[in-house]
Amino acid sequence: MATVSPTIPYFDFRKAQTPKKLVGLWRMLEGYRLPYLLANLSVGVSALAKATTYILLWIFADTVTGNFTPFAGTLSKTLIYLAFGFVGLSMVEGLFAFISGRLAAYSAEGITRRLRNFLFDHIQRLSFAYHSKTPTGDLIERVTSDVDAIRSFFNEQAIGVGRIILLFVVNFTAIWFINHKLALASIIVIPVVLLVSLWFFKRITKAYEAYQEQEAKLSTTLQENLTGVRVVKAFARQGFEKGKFETDNWEKFRRGRKLLGMHSLFWPLSDIVCGFQMLGGFVYAAILAINGEITIGTYPAYVGLVVWLIWPMRNLGRLIVNTSTGLVSYNRLMEIIKQEREPLTEGRVRPEGPVRGELAFEKVSFTYEDGESEVVKDISFRVQPGQAVALLGSTGSGKTSLIKLLPRFHDYTDGRILLDGEELKDYPREVLRKQIGTVEQEPFLFSRSIRDNITYGVGRDVAQEEIEKAAKAAAVHEVILGFPDGYNTLVGEKGVTLSGGQKQRVAIARTLLKNPRILILDDSTSSVDTETEAEIRSALNTLMENRTTFIIAHRIQSVMNADLILVLDKGEVVQMGRHEALLAQDGMYRKIYEIQTRIDDELEEEIQNYEL
Amino acid sequence: MSDNELIELEEEEHTSPLTAPTFKRIVGLLRPHWRWMVGFLLTIAATAGLDSVFTYINRGMIDQGIGHKSVDALIRYATYYGGLQIVQAALVFGFIYLAGVLGERVQYDLRRALFNHLQDLSLSYYSQNAVGRLMARVTSDTGRVSSLMTWGLLDVTWAIVSVISSTIFMLIINWRLALIVFSSIPILLVIAVNFRKKILVEFRGARRANSKITGEYNQNIQGVRVVKALGREDENLNEFSALTGNMFNASYRAAWLSALFLPTVQIVAAFALGAIVWYGGTQSLTSSFSVGDIHAFVSYLTFMIWPVQDLARVYAEMQHSIASAERIFKLLDTAPEVRDRPDAVAAETLLGEIEFDHVDFYYEDRNPVLTDFSLKVRPGEMIALVGPTGGGKSTIVNLLCRFFEPRNGVIRINGRDYTGYTLESIHSRIGIVLQTPHLFSGTVRENIRYGRLAASDESVEEAARIAGAHEFITGLPKGYDENVGEGGNLLSTGQKQLISLARAVLARPELFIMDEATSSVDTLTEALIQHGMEALMKGRTSFVIAHRLSTIRRADRIVVIEDGRIQEQGTHAELLRQRGHYYRLYTQQFRYEAEVKYSAEADLSPVAAD
Repeated sequence: MATVSPTIPYFDFRKAQTPKKLVGLWRMLEGYRLPYLLANLSVGVSALAKATTYILLWIFADTVTGNFTPFAGTLSKTLIYLAFGFVGLSMVEGLFAFISGRLAAYSAEGITRRLRNFLFDHIQRLSFAYHSKTPTGDLIERVTSDVDAIRSFFNEQAIGVGRIILLFVVNFTAIWFINHKLALASIIVIPVVLLVSLWFFKRITKAYEAYQEQEAKLSTTLQENLTGVRVVKAFARQGFEKGKFETDNWEKFRRGRKLLGMHSLFWPLSDIVCGFQMLGGFVYAAILAINGEITIGTYPAYVGLVVWLIWPMRNLGRLIVNTSTGLVSYNRLMEIIKQEREPLTEGRVRPEGPVRGELAFEKVSFTYEDGESEVVKDISFRVQPGQAVALLGSTGSGKTSLIKLLPRFHDYTDGRILLDGEELKDYPREVLRKQIGTVEQEPFLFSRSIRDNITYGVGRDVAQEEIEKAAKAAAVHEVILGFPDGYNTLVGEKGVTLSGGQKQRVAIARTLLKNPRILILDDSTSSVDTETEAEIRSALNTLMENRTTFIIAHRIQSVMNADLILVLDKGEVVQMGRHEALLAQDGMYRKIYEIQTRIDDELEEEIQNYEL
Repeated sequence: MSDNELIELEEEEHTSPLTAPTFKRIVGLLRPHWRWMVGFLLTIAATAGLDSVFTYINRGMIDQGIGHKSVDALIRYATYYGGLQIVQAALVFGFIYLAGVLGERVQYDLRRALFNHLQDLSLSYYSQNAVGRLMARVTSDTGRVSSLMTWGLLDVTWAIVSVISSTIFMLIINWRLALIVFSSIPILLVIAVNFRKKILVEFRGARRANSKITGEYNQNIQGVRVVKALGREDENLNEFSALTGNMFNASYRAAWLSALFLPTVQIVAAFALGAIVWYGGTQSLTSSFSVGDIHAFVSYLTFMIWPVQDLARVYAEMQHSIASAERIFKLLDTAPEVRDRPDAVAAETLLGEIEFDHVDFYYEDRNPVLTDFSLKVRPGEMIALVGPTGGGKSTIVNLLCRFFEPRNGVIRINGRDYTGYTLESIHSRIGIVLQTPHLFSGTVRENIRYGRLAASDESVEEAARIAGAHEFITGLPKGYDENVGEGGNLLSTGQKQLISLARAVLARPELFIMDEATSSVDTLTEALIQHGMEALMKGRTSFVIAHRLSTIRRADRIVVIEDGRIQEQGTHAELLRQRGHYYRLYTQQFRYEAEVKYSAEADLSPVAAD
């Protein structure tokens, strides 16, 4: 049995569940907190090095103007120290910026990978009830865009906000160090910038969403036109289509223009606010220099520092607005994460080898979780190992629901089912599912090679000869060899499209390799492909040998040879027995049987009519 | 979804060098909007120029203001600064708006041209090009081209003007130092371009990994029943983790390369700064190198980094955008295979004799689909085409609709080669119902009205009644105004079929073509569809690719097609008597339909009632 490789990055995100979103996001960081904090710290070191560069510039400017002599000795020696100082500081700044970027990416990408792995695993372990009520598109949307929003929360927003705050602290401190009043005078407009950017980015985000929405609409129009090209041409609607596309295309242009209008207002507006703040600072600093309160060399240092104090603030608003997206995504993901998983390993009975396949149904009833009435009512029967049981009935008669109880896709609500004398509910689900094989009429195949589809879920390495042997027994080997890449041919959109009968035979080959003791054959819709029917039938017979088999069917031909036939109607067994016995009774079974024979008579009769 | 994305990714890998003809055509796209382009080029150039002026003003503040302790000079320079700040803000507004809107406009133009051209292209083009590729042409390729021409051009202009104006000011201040700074630029550029290219590769890798992850999610959720039944959860997780591992590696590498990029460039710049300090410092002893000069040089130097960065980015992306442009132009240059002849006349009616005269057809060379096919159809006749899948039935319909034209032989309508008629006059007289009915997003009413755009609401409803669709439509919550969803996905196949029947009825065609659905619909809908078809065929020539016995029996003539040839033709009775191909097909279908019918009957009448 395959097990999860221990090297897989995995984290149980159910631990991160809390109504407080930021706390939850902090919990998600577990295991990455140290690198993540170091990433933030490195931003600080880098900012510090940058600020120090300007301090060095100050020393340099004052040195060359003779206001200051920091080192004893000749000036040229001092200059060489300073030159190396600049290069050295720049290296420190660069190194820590790199470390910060690398650690942040390491943490964010690492958390995202764990999150993806967890969600993938979690979703495949959720119950059938959950899957049947949740649209695939919605789940995909959450596991892609919402996960991405979490990733950029850690990689961009959280670290970005941290960076801006650290830049502020460091540069403010440096200016404070130069002159207290100057420092205070330099940050007057910061609250204004912050508010303006928040105000704008809320709207810009909205306009951007509207723009994207229109892009999606345009793309739908385009796709529908391209896939429906025959309809468009057949009705000569090219002109109409052009008009429709034009409307959508123009609307997108209009929304784009609106979005750009907002951007083109925000940036120069914030430029003016920040620009005048800086100008004010420059003038004030210059006056302080003229009055001798600061040295002339301080001035260029100040100019360099204040830039890093003010400009980043414009981005703070954008980051804060984007952060809210991350928080919304946290909630949307938690809605999936909080769902209960199907417990696969819970159960007392773990037989050493394969089960024998003896089954006893005792007064079994079943109601769906959200259902009102029983879909399976009080059903009792026994099956010996290797016997075949057929379930006959119309759609909605309960035969499919009854069968779903065997692999414990759902648990019966009343009565009990015994497998080899032990109650089914005492077997872990994973054990049961290894022992039960299902072949549907038109099974789902994965977009992988045919070989991978045959060995899918077999749970061990299978040699090519064994695969071919199974494919031959399933009467699909020849078909596969007819495909361009044989067993390596891809199934699905990018490869070959298989017919229903071919898919079924691939599933038969798969089940042969899996070699389960209990078999479920879903034959409930009749196939049109009569040419292959004989082949499928013989493949199925091979498969049924020595296995306890349940056949879901609505045709007499598929059930005649069963050891036990159950005729179901509205969740109840209305008739039970072997073919001959049931035929002798006046009931539904005989009626279905008569219909089938009548068909042959009618056909003969119709042809006779024309022969005259 | 993820398939389209993979196509896009694959195409993005392509690069092309810029050739003169492509360049001319790209520039040609801007010609109608040249005022906008000149506008944004001027505003961005002025913005870039002003940036270096600000630094120059600062130098003045330091040297004239602080250096000479002159508040007057300080105020003067501050006034310049403030005034120019306002001018620059206006310029910034100008270039964002002009370049941005121009970009949107160019994309709009390109998309319109592509879409309109696609409408005129023949079906043969569509059968050779996957929808995903055509989508990528209209959506992403246009985006790349328009952003190259606006934001790309803007970045390049900004970068060049910044470098030049900074250099000029530096030359004015001190030409020797200026040369030191200038010499670092080529080094910076080479480093930056190489970095950018590497980063781009990693980003693509990450996107590819990402679309694989999405595909895997999709598969696993859709096949969750199989996964559970086979107990394959653990193995799936192992495999999936390998995919997320690829994603991690690619995006982590992209991220740290990006993180390494800027520091590297800055360190190179720092060496230049060191040189300024050492050389400039020594010079200040002998000549007059002021604090303002130092400040200006340091600012100009840091200023160089961003333009170089931008140039590198644009350069790295440019070749991909040019490849996009070439794909767009190639599509626009494709001439439709089927089009009106110069001397084409409008067909007066299609209700005449239709004749296939020794027609050969192949989609690809050496792979004939139809060979020496001849058939004469009288006006008003109903022809049922039967035979195995791939035998050539759909090709006959495609030729009849003139979606394709015969490779050899002639198709005549009213005795005249139909390629002599205008396409519009043929298509506007044909009503077609496809096997997988195609609906468009919108309401039921809009979809039916597609058959005749000018039709009144009453006519729409009447057509629906004739087609037998009225009943179910009025049963929908919003009736005729019910939304059908993307591609009609909110309706069942049977319902979609009824609507497409109503659409064909409304078109009042002279020639009716139907590809009958093989998928089973419920008996009631089936009866409605049959009824609708009957109404449609009255007084019209019709071709039906038939599967159902009721349709086949009703036909005036049954044509059995196999391997691109007519195997048998005649009436139902004649063909049955022959006990050939048709006999086999018929008995098989008979059994199938009877079984479905009777098992439905058995369901409806429980034993207790017997």
